[in-house]
Amino acid sequence: MAAYRADEDYDYLYKVVLIGDSGVGKSNLLSRFTRNEFSLESKSTIGVEFATRSIRVEDKIVKAQIWDTAGQERYRAITSAYYRGAVGALLVYDVTRHVTFENVERWLKELRGHTDSNIVIMLVGNKADLRHLCAVSTEDAKAFAERENTFFMETSALESMNVENAFTEVLTQIYHVVSRKALDIGGDPAALPKGQTINVGGKDDVSAVKKVGCCNA
Amino acid sequence: MQGIPDGAGIRSTVWKLLLVYLPPDRGLWPSELAKKRSQYKHFKDDLLVNPSEITRRLDKSTIYESEEWKCESSGFLSRSEITHDEHPLSLGKSSIWNQFFQDSEIMEQIDRDVKRTHPDMHFFSGDSSFATSNQEALKNILIVFAKLNPGIRYVQGMNEILAPLYYVFKSDPDEEFSVSAEADTFFCFVELLSGFRDNFCQQLDNSVVGIRSTITRLSQLLKEHDEELWRHLEVTTKVNPQFYAFRWITLLLTQEFNFADSLHIWDTLLSDPDGPQVGLMFFLFIFSCLILLILWKDAMFLELRNVIIDPL
Repeated sequence: MAAYRADEDYDYLYKVVLIGDSGVGKSNLLSRFTRNEFSLESKSTIGVEFATRSIRVEDKIVKAQIWDTAGQERYRAITSAYYRGAVGALLVYDVTRHVTFENVERWLKELRGHTDSNIVIMLVGNKADLRHLCAVSTEDAKAFAERENTFFMETSALESMNVENAFTEVLTQIYHVVSRKALDIGGDPAALPKGQTINVGGKDDVSAVKKVGCCNA
Repeated sequence: MQGIPDGAGIRSTVWKLLLVYLPPDRGLWPSELAKKRSQYKHFKDDLLVNPSEITRRLDKSTIYESEEWKCESSGFLSRSEITHDEHPLSLGKSSIWNQFFQDSEIMEQIDRDVKRTHPDMHFFSGDSSFATSNQEALKNILIVFAKLNPGIRYVQGMNEILAPLYYVFKSDPDEEFSVSAEADTFFCFVELLSGFRDNFCQQLDNSVVGIRSTITRLSQLLKEHDEELWRHLEVTTKVNPQFYAFRWITLLLTQEFNFADSLHIWDTLLSDPDGPQVGLMFFLFIFSCLILLILWKDAMFLELRNVIIDPL
């Protein structure tokens, strides 16, 4: 399990967004992953919040900047900037409320409309600790994820189950996509001038290779 | 920022006066309060009943007028007519049942958010009957408001604006006021929101009254008052002001401070001499955002994220 590290020394910075209906547990997934905290009744998120954590992926330090926002429809228009530059997304539903799974399709559409086609998406069925209340079968969710070409995991922010795995998987996949993209662009990433950023999101430079020339050393 | 002294119900009375719920003439208070409280009771009676109750009432009124009433008295059981529209499977847009199911989505949202309003305070949270009845009151107010304002309905965050009002009125040591806290809060909430409701309205986001232009005005003020900070935020780090100011404005600073401090801030926000709807209050508020930014500057220079500082 990756240790919590100082924020400053990292090789890559990736922006990851959390999306999904209100009350599915986005903020708790964020706090569990970045601070190892959970609160049963946390305030509803208004506007945008974010937190960071660095983990090791292969031999590199990847810093994830994870964005969290309100789930209610009203807040989507205002937060279109929210998606800008995102290279990963956790699309969260609540396994005990089927309607939050039904809305996943709408979220996916909005996400794809606002982000680069290479974005790494993981469908996340949260609150998996509430087994007796489960309203969305794992098979249905898995089938949906396969159809939509996204990753899938069931998590419990409360029990700390799979939270680490879900984020790590997304970050690792992003790392692979970015490396591949870097190869596509320049053949050899080391060939790029030192300090140049590779724009993964297409529009912004939030998620980018921080030090492209680092492997030169 | 000192504001109104805590205790003795002074804040409760002052806020009601500032929100023009209580008329300046004290002699008029009893009649005005009685009128408003009974009006709220009517709202609740009309808006918080479920559809079967409404259909039952409708039936009753038609039965009384019809011949069937006489039949019943001679031994026939009454049968209520089921109209084409008023049954649970009706697809008619005007059906009270259809409306009910649409509302239930909003009601679930309200329920979820009320449960997570100040989860750290016994007043609002927990299983005590006191907390439960307070939650019930918040829910009633938000549902009545949503139904009376179909253009806005319920938007997440309204619960946060409602909470300080209800807390202050419910904590009034004068029992006459504390028992009617729900009704009093409702009208004060409507009054307060009338100055800010455009922030909650998605259709107005891009208009001159919507939240985007409010945020732009804040950014301009910031540039005038602290260009260094403005430059750092918008040029160097390219931080979209939406990301920090959105919540301040939407929630009237309630989530930025501990609860007691936010009451003091509201004393200032509400005490604009021209009344809360007037733009001046708005600017006062904008300025407090500015002060915040300036106080937070040092921290923001270090790293821009949700730094929790107690600037007061």
